[in-house]
Amino acid sequence: MLSYLVRRVALAIVVLFGLLVATFFIIHLVPGDPVRIVLAGRASPATIARVRHQLALDRPLWTQFTLYVSNMVQGHFGTSFTLDSPVAQIIGQRLGVSAALIAYGMLLSLLIGVPLAIIAALRPNTWLDNSIRLGTTLTFALPGFWLGLMLALVFGLKLGWFPVAGYSGGIVGILQTLTLPALALGLALAGVVVRTLRSSLLEVLQSEHIEATRSRGMSELRVVGRHALRLSVMATATILSINIGFLIGGTVVLEQVFQLPGLGSLLVEAVEKRDYQLVQALTLLAGAAVVLASLATDVVQAFLDPRVKLSGR
Amino acid sequence: MHRTGGRSGKTVAVLVVGIAAVVLLAVWGGQARSASTPQKSSAGLTTSASCSGAPVHGGNLVYERQAATETLDPLNPLNGNGDIFSYNLIYSGLVRSDPTGKTNNIVPSLSDHWTISADGKTYLFHLRPGIKFSNGQPVTAEDVAWTLNRFGNPKINAIMAAVAVGFGHASVANSSTVRVQLQRPVAAFLYDISIWPAFILPKNLVQKEGKAFYSHPVGTGPFMVKSFVKGSSITFARNPYYWEKGKPYLDSVKYNFVSDSNTRILALRAGNAQSMDVVPFSQIKSLAGDKNIVVQTAKVPLFLGLWFNHLRPQFADLNVRKAMQYAIDRALINQQIFGGLGQIPNSVLMGFAMDAPASVVKPYPYDVTQAKALMAKSKYPKGFSTTLLYPSGTDFYNQLALALQQEFGAIGIKVKLVAQDTATVTNAWFTRKYDMVFPFASFTSDLTVPDEYADFLANWSNGFHGFESSWKDPAINKSVLAFESTRNQAARAKQWAQIQQALMNQTPVIDVLKLPFINAHLANVCGTDLDGLGSDHLENTWIAG
Repeated sequence: MLSYLVRRVALAIVVLFGLLVATFFIIHLVPGDPVRIVLAGRASPATIARVRHQLALDRPLWTQFTLYVSNMVQGHFGTSFTLDSPVAQIIGQRLGVSAALIAYGMLLSLLIGVPLAIIAALRPNTWLDNSIRLGTTLTFALPGFWLGLMLALVFGLKLGWFPVAGYSGGIVGILQTLTLPALALGLALAGVVVRTLRSSLLEVLQSEHIEATRSRGMSELRVVGRHALRLSVMATATILSINIGFLIGGTVVLEQVFQLPGLGSLLVEAVEKRDYQLVQALTLLAGAAVVLASLATDVVQAFLDPRVKLSGR
Repeated sequence: MHRTGGRSGKTVAVLVVGIAAVVLLAVWGGQARSASTPQKSSAGLTTSASCSGAPVHGGNLVYERQAATETLDPLNPLNGNGDIFSYNLIYSGLVRSDPTGKTNNIVPSLSDHWTISADGKTYLFHLRPGIKFSNGQPVTAEDVAWTLNRFGNPKINAIMAAVAVGFGHASVANSSTVRVQLQRPVAAFLYDISIWPAFILPKNLVQKEGKAFYSHPVGTGPFMVKSFVKGSSITFARNPYYWEKGKPYLDSVKYNFVSDSNTRILALRAGNAQSMDVVPFSQIKSLAGDKNIVVQTAKVPLFLGLWFNHLRPQFADLNVRKAMQYAIDRALINQQIFGGLGQIPNSVLMGFAMDAPASVVKPYPYDVTQAKALMAKSKYPKGFSTTLLYPSGTDFYNQLALALQQEFGAIGIKVKLVAQDTATVTNAWFTRKYDMVFPFASFTSDLTVPDEYADFLANWSNGFHGFESSWKDPAINKSVLAFESTRNQAARAKQWAQIQQALMNQTPVIDVLKLPFINAHLANVCGTDLDGLGSDHLENTWIAG
């Protein structure tokens, strides 16, 4: 177990370093730099050259890279030129919004997806099952920005239940401002939940253990609720953890549509302005979240399911 | 095992009901608050709203802004209008543009009158009696002189050093008078100090707090910062010490940063906001059809500037450049893409208030025959292939680029269209790696007079390489320099008309169309005039009952 964990952590570090290298070179190879974007058109070329020199942007790419890596190793994420603040501070201010959106979106995906998956599994290949699968496939396939705009149109503009954009803190504020984006995220993810849980449930429902339970005269709902669901939930949890990347990607789009001050909208802004320090830090953070979620799932799975042997992998 | 399953089932049920209840409460709470906020009751606007009465005090204005405020340091703007529109609420200068936007005049602000020496090099600014910063601290002549010396120092005012060219030194003449000595007469000096880099700051606080001052700044503008959530919104409260008696009318102003135009429109229509800026041209008709909403256009120095790279031999050929001017059907473009809201230009730069009228400097008419004749006279009678680079993600550029591709194609110029993100486009322009380019998604002047941009384009000593076009004309450069130091307004108008005509003849760049600023607000939002630079003067804004 311990050696497995050490191996996985080492692998995670290698993956993250690879991500760091790839992000650094990709964003630096795209034309434009933060100084020219912010200052061009107003400041003189001499001023722009001076500021680029101060930020070491006129040095060879390899020198900039080694400088960056040595700063990262010492735990310095640098300062964002376009926002004139330390990167760690900016990320700290915005992390909560994205985390709340992801958690709320995941919760809604379960609240929507689990009951639908159970219904679909209990009535396989009927019109009900087909409708559920079609509906959730549709919400999964719809572009996030479109789904978000439609929700804002219906629940914000027509019904006036929620503000169409913006963010407020506190429980009430979060429920008011994050419900629509979380619903857009949850509806998209519900498709994954329904498909995974339904197929897993169908498999479990045909097992001997469930047959034995049925033979004791339990209702189908109780069979599913008390037995089959528990046996099927692990596959769904695994799929959800794998989809952390999907959720992070979803926040990038939805935070733009709903103008939420989270890390997704920050990333878009940082890329638009070629804010190298910020893009690199945010990409690394997103990568770390995916790697850690995957690691955590494996470990939790091993604890919960005795059939899983980590050391054997 | 069974019990566990049962518990989880109940837990899920309780969770569902609980969340639904809290969400409903939140919704209900939000609606209750909305209903109690007077300006959100937009349903009654058509019958009750009226801006014809006297202004009333109170109310909170929510304004959806396309560009976010990133910094409140007026010497280091990081996000163009996103920062500038906040500076304009917090700070003010000695003088300002006519807030009604009806004239191009500079009018008093913190200085109620001033005198200028006969040689045009010494200005004496007399401070308005009793003016205070938003913390109640009096504005002193020392604050003013110190601020202006920072404005004139290119090491401190690095970004906007171009508007401080010719500045010498500011000093305290007496407790209520500041003397400014220029190195040479600068005709646009009052315009130069009417904008944000010359906004007056409290010397003692900035020196004491340094950069931290700008997280809770103190100024002399109509509002002061109440809260600033970066990336989301900035809220301003009324400045009780504002120098214009009885103003501002509003209790607070909140700028929500909403880059997506669809979301801005939805927020306005839903009554979540009362004002929005940058209405997309494609949405104007639909918004104007809403009786609760007023769409407002303002004439500002904004244009569709098409840049030629004169290092490319095709564009170094004057016949080619003029042929392209004649080949553009501006009336059609204006009608089809911009809903007729644009203005056909008679200059190559953005529209300035002192531009000579079309009767004096004539616009290029749409004349394909003339365009073809000029191409035949050029070094490229059979035409050539070139590339047009333009910013992606702006609603009208794709249509405009397609129209130009077709029109230039009619005179033998095959144009390959390349849409890139703004950063890439601006970089290509700045490094002069382009054939033709629209360098910015939105291209406006910082001043209502042409001095700054004429200098950028014509004066090579400023290091701008003909504003990154590589165009050079010593005769026009000489005229521009003379214009910049001529103080007599009549003489300046005459000089500018000649420069305007010379630039049209040379066509170093093309002004495809002049565009207005387009904002929208609910019908009960009154006093919404923009000044000549397109800036709101929210000290005059009020909300009708």
